[in-house]
Amino acid sequence: MTQAAPVVDCAACGKAIDGCELCERPDCPTAICYRCLSVALRQASPDLHDHGG
Amino acid sequence: MGFTEVYDYVAGILDWLAAGGPIEGTSAGQPRAGDVARGDVPTCGLDERLGEVAARAHAAGWDACVVVNQERVVLGLLRAKELDGDPGSRIEAAMRPGPSTFRPHVPVAELAHYLVDHDVENAPITTSDGRLVGLLLRDDALRAAHGHHQAEGDAT
Repeated sequence: MTQAAPVVDCAACGKAIDGCELCERPDCPTAICYRCLSVALRQASPDLHDHGG
Repeated sequence: MGFTEVYDYVAGILDWLAAGGPIEGTSAGQPRAGDVARGDVPTCGLDERLGEVAARAHAAGWDACVVVNQERVVLGLLRAKELDGDPGSRIEAAMRPGPSTFRPHVPVAELAHYLVDHDVENAPITTSDGRLVGLLLRDDALRAAHGHHQAEGDAT
């Protein structure tokens, strides 16, 4: 029997993720996804349009 | 405008910053992760044994070790908790694989904020192709951010 991966929502964008990108805790109250963390720390540019077009 | 040699850095400004390229402007003076990260952090390979690696790290005054390949690309991280594991285990089994890494140009004050907020004691700093620059310790990041904040206050 396989155990379902714990899911938490990114506090910034709401996306469901397996765990916080920074602290890796599945129960992090301020969990953040890879994309939002990269943008917040200016490692990546924010998407110009939500729809990607 | 008088420039005789002009180049177009095709990979973009973020890649330039991530590679540690020099910058100008109002934020150029703030300390960045690559400036504060400790390049002398112990490293080890996947095939080593945890006991030997932990002894080496502790002897050098560290409670962390970065797992790298021959090109110094980061593969994993051993923080204090992992270093205290079974001394006979292989590093590959003991490490935290694929840790979050950060680029050298990230402002250290912002990264310090996240490290405190999430109770993370250190973070590997790598180039955009994954090569180890150093390990940023939370206390170093806080000290650098605080020092810069004070210096800015003194200057005004």
